[in-house]
Formats: sequence, structure tokens, C-alpha cells
Amino acid sequence: MKKPVLFLLAAVFLLPLVVRPAIASEIWIFAIFGLGANLLMGYTGLLSFGQSTFFGSAAYVAGWLMKVQGVNAFLALAAGIGVGAASAAVVGYLCVQRSGLYFIMLTFALNQLFYFTAYQWTSITGGEDGMPGVPRPEFFGVDFKDPVIYYALVSGLFLLSLYLMKRIVESPLGKILQAIRENEVRAEAVGYAVPRFKLLAFVIGGAFSGLAGVLYAMLFGIVPLESISFVFSGNVIFATLIGGSGSLYGPVIGSFVFIWLSESMSTVWARWPLLLGVAFVLVVMFLRGGLVEAWTRFWTWRSSKLKT
Amino acid sequence: MLYALMGLGLSLVTGILNIPNFAHGALFAVGAYLLATVAVALGNFWLALLIAPLGVALLGLAIEYAGIRRLYAAGHDYQLLFTFGLALILSESIILIWGPIGSSYLPPEILRGGMDLGFTMYPKYRLFVMVAAGLLIFATWLFLEKTRYGAIMRAGIENKEMVSLLGIDIRMMFTVAFAMGAYLAGIAGALTAPIRGLNPGMGPDMLGIAFVVVALGGLGNLLGAIAAGLIIGVAQALVAAYWTEASTVVIYAVMAVILLVRPQGLFGIR
Repeated sequence: MKKPVLFLLAAVFLLPLVVRPAIASEIWIFAIFGLGANLLMGYTGLLSFGQSTFFGSAAYVAGWLMKVQGVNAFLALAAGIGVGAASAAVVGYLCVQRSGLYFIMLTFALNQLFYFTAYQWTSITGGEDGMPGVPRPEFFGVDFKDPVIYYALVSGLFLLSLYLMKRIVESPLGKILQAIRENEVRAEAVGYAVPRFKLLAFVIGGAFSGLAGVLYAMLFGIVPLESISFVFSGNVIFATLIGGSGSLYGPVIGSFVFIWLSESMSTVWARWPLLLGVAFVLVVMFLRGGLVEAWTRFWTWRSSKLKT
Repeated sequence: MLYALMGLGLSLVTGILNIPNFAHGALFAVGAYLLATVAVALGNFWLALLIAPLGVALLGLAIEYAGIRRLYAAGHDYQLLFTFGLALILSESIILIWGPIGSSYLPPEILRGGMDLGFTMYPKYRLFVMVAAGLLIFATWLFLEKTRYGAIMRAGIENKEMVSLLGIDIRMMFTVAFAMGAYLAGIAGALTAPIRGLNPGMGPDMLGIAFVVVALGGLGNLLGAIAAGLIIGVAQALVAAYWTEASTVVIYAVMAVILLVRPQGLFGIR
């Protein structure tokens, strides 16, 4: 086994010993969310500022299914993935024709459309208070109410997602997406239907976001309104960027740092988003390229020093 | 009218600077809060209406000079993260300074109450806002169309490299454009304060609308932004009259429909 894989497995096993299982679960859930965002941002070069649309819609639909219809956990997960992919297909269809700033603004505005729908549709979503009482239904006698068992489920699904994403970005499809990122005109000229591939990236990314959304709702037992707000979209972009977009492990590291940062800051000060904003600004000013790049830079710098 | 004002400011910034300015809504909120504070402190609404937007413009100037200036070469992702971080900082600072609970601020004495227009009664202050916003939009239009610097700015939207090759200080122009955008956001916020009151969430709400207006009007198309702002405002008012709950959703729905039919926006060329 290669080093990153070993490292990752160690992290999965050790993390719940260091922090509470709930936070450990949150980290991996956010990492799944980040994987989806990274496929769009890092690999296809589509800076979508509406990732929480898919996350939140999936959380609401799956939460409603479990709470009101009483479906089991795995059906809910499947439904969430489906909803994430479907909402991403709709948003993607409207957005892939545009590029640059237009694209960012459109994904954002559509995010707002979903947000306000959730905000106003109080009979189902609970509006500003969120949708409480999302259960963690048992499945084949496994009781997910135990936080450790739930953590096992989450981390298992995370590893599966990571493996899938690795296969996707290394597949011909992944290469085409990267070609689009590098030079859209050339990719088109070589004969790829660029909009269709962008849409595909949306749908896949949306499916990952949907999975993360359902897991999130089950983790906290509530679908908060924030989960579909643009702040959440910003957070996942931040997590991906700080880890290093366009690298497979970037969002994983990023979400680790992000959740850890926000958890520790939120216990210190109620106005912690202020600090978060400062962190965003500082990262942009001094740490572009993210932690993965900072790490590689550090190692190349060190090895060049050792040689001389 | 206010939407047009917001859209105009944002369109200026996105068109000339080519950055996604997510702090635009926060600047709007700062404008509103500044107005209320200054007006209470001085006891004069008119003076406050003059000072508050200038304060926001100064803030914009500082932001551009200290931060955004260094990011033109960076990708949209970092620009977005930066302005988003700024928006967080500004809106949290508002909560820190003015508290999390919204408050209301009444318009000055002479603008309270309604006015008989012959066919309907209309609140005086809203009439004032319409006239003021109209004048501001007209002034901006005059500046951009009829003055030399306005022509340079429009040229900057079309082709930045060409403009800088002609020996014009383009960085200066960026700063001016950002400050102008901030000014327009600030005065829109200041004018809004007596109508809708103050609350920390007003920034993000307006931000979404401003983006819709810009997307509909066409990036960098200033007249388009004005027209789109009016259309969105009317659509929202009409829906609000019949189905209040849907009025916030409807602007985004209108946008989605229009973009389906005309992906480049109503007046967009790019």
C-alpha cells in the first residue's frame, strides 16, 4: 500500500480517539462534500458557488423521507444521492453555457433560489428553525444511534467516496475534465462536447454533495437552514482551497483543518465567523495554493538544502 | 429603483475589475447602519445621507487599495474567497458594533406620511427614494457617457490592455471604479434604512438580488443593469401583492426563466 493510503487509514482509526466522534464524523462528511466540490473546482475548473444547493436539498428530502415516511437509512442515502445529482443536473444545465464571473454569479443566484424556497416553505422545512427530528433509522439490526457505530458508517462511506473519486479523476473522463480546465477551446476542438462533460461533472459532484448532506442531517438529527445557504457553499470552497484544489487529498486535508478550526473557534467566541473571514483573507494573501502546495514547497526546499 | 442602484454599482465593479464582489451586500448594509448612526448623532438626516455613503466609499477605497489590488492576477477562486471573507468580516462587525437585533429608523419629519397622487396614496419617503435613486442613476449615467473619465471607464470594460497601452493609469481607474461601486451600494443602503429598517441579514439578501440584476442586465452593461433592476423590482412588487411568501423566490425564478430563453442575459453581449 502506498503512503497516503496508510496515512489515511491511520487517520480514520485515530481521529475518534482525539476528538469527539461527532466532530470526527463531521470532518469526513465535510470531506465528502469537498470531494464533490473539488471535482468541479479543482478538476474541471468550474468555480461553483452553489454547492450547498445540492447538499441542502438532499438533506431536506432525505430528512423528510426518514422523518415522515420512515424509510430506512440506506434508502434515504440513496435518495439523497439521487436528489443531489438531480438538483445538480438542473443547476448545471442552466449554468454550463456561461463561464467566468457569469458562471459564479449564476450558481450563487440559484443557490439563493433554493435557499429562499427552503426559507419560505415552513410547513416542511421549518424555515429559519430548520427541520428537527431527523432520525438515524436502524438497518439490518445495526443501531446507528451509537455515535461510534455511526462514525464507522461515515468513515466507511468516506473511504468509499475517496476511492470512487480517485477512480473518476484517473479515468478518461477525469482526464477530459482536466483538459477542459486547462484549455476549454482546445478540448472542444479535439472533439469533446464540453458542455455535456461539464454537466456530467456537476451531476457527479452533486451526488457526492447529496451523500454528504444526508449524512450531515443524520449526524445532527436536524437539517439547519444554513445547510442550504451560500455561506455553506463558501465554506466548502474555502476548505477545498486551503487544502489545495485540484489534488485528490486537498479537500480531505482542507475539511480537517476547516472543521477543526471552526469547532475550536466557535467554542471561544460567538462571533467566530469574523475570525473565519480574517482566516479567508489571510489565506488568500499569503497561502495561495493551499496546504498541499505549502507542504510540497517545504519538502522541495528542504531537499534542496540537504543536497548542498 | 434601489435594485437598479445596487445592480449598477455591482455591474461597474464586476465589469471593470472583473472580480466577483461578494462584499457588495455587506457594503450595502454598512451604508444603512452608518446612515442611522450618523443621523442620530447629528440629528440631521440630510447630512447623514451625504456622509454615510462617502464613508462606505472610503471603506471601499481602503479595501481595494489594501487587498483587491493584489488579487487581479489571481484566479476567480481566490478573489471570491477574499471578498467572501470580507463580507463575513463586515457583517460580523456590524453585529459586534450594532448588535444582532434589527432596529428601525424613521425617515425625517417632512418625508413621513403619505401623499395624494390623485389616483392613489403613496408614502412620501418612498417617492423621495424613487426620485433620489433616479437622480443618482442619471448622474452615474451622465458621468459614464458624457465625461472624459467615464469614457475611459467604459473603454476599460471593453478592453483593459488597450486602455493601459494608451498610457492611462488603469490601477487608479480600478480603485475609482471600486470606490464608486461601494458608494452606490452605500447610498442604496442608506436610502433603504428608513423603509425596511436595519438588520444584520440585509446584506446577504441584497447581494443575491444584485447578482441577479447583473446577470440579467449583462456583465458590464450598465444600462442593462438599470433596466434589469427595474424589471426585478416590479416583478417582486407584483408578486408580493398577490402571494407574499413567494416574493423572494420569484426574483430568482424570473432570472432562471429569462436565462433559459436568453442565456446571455437580457442585454448581454458576452
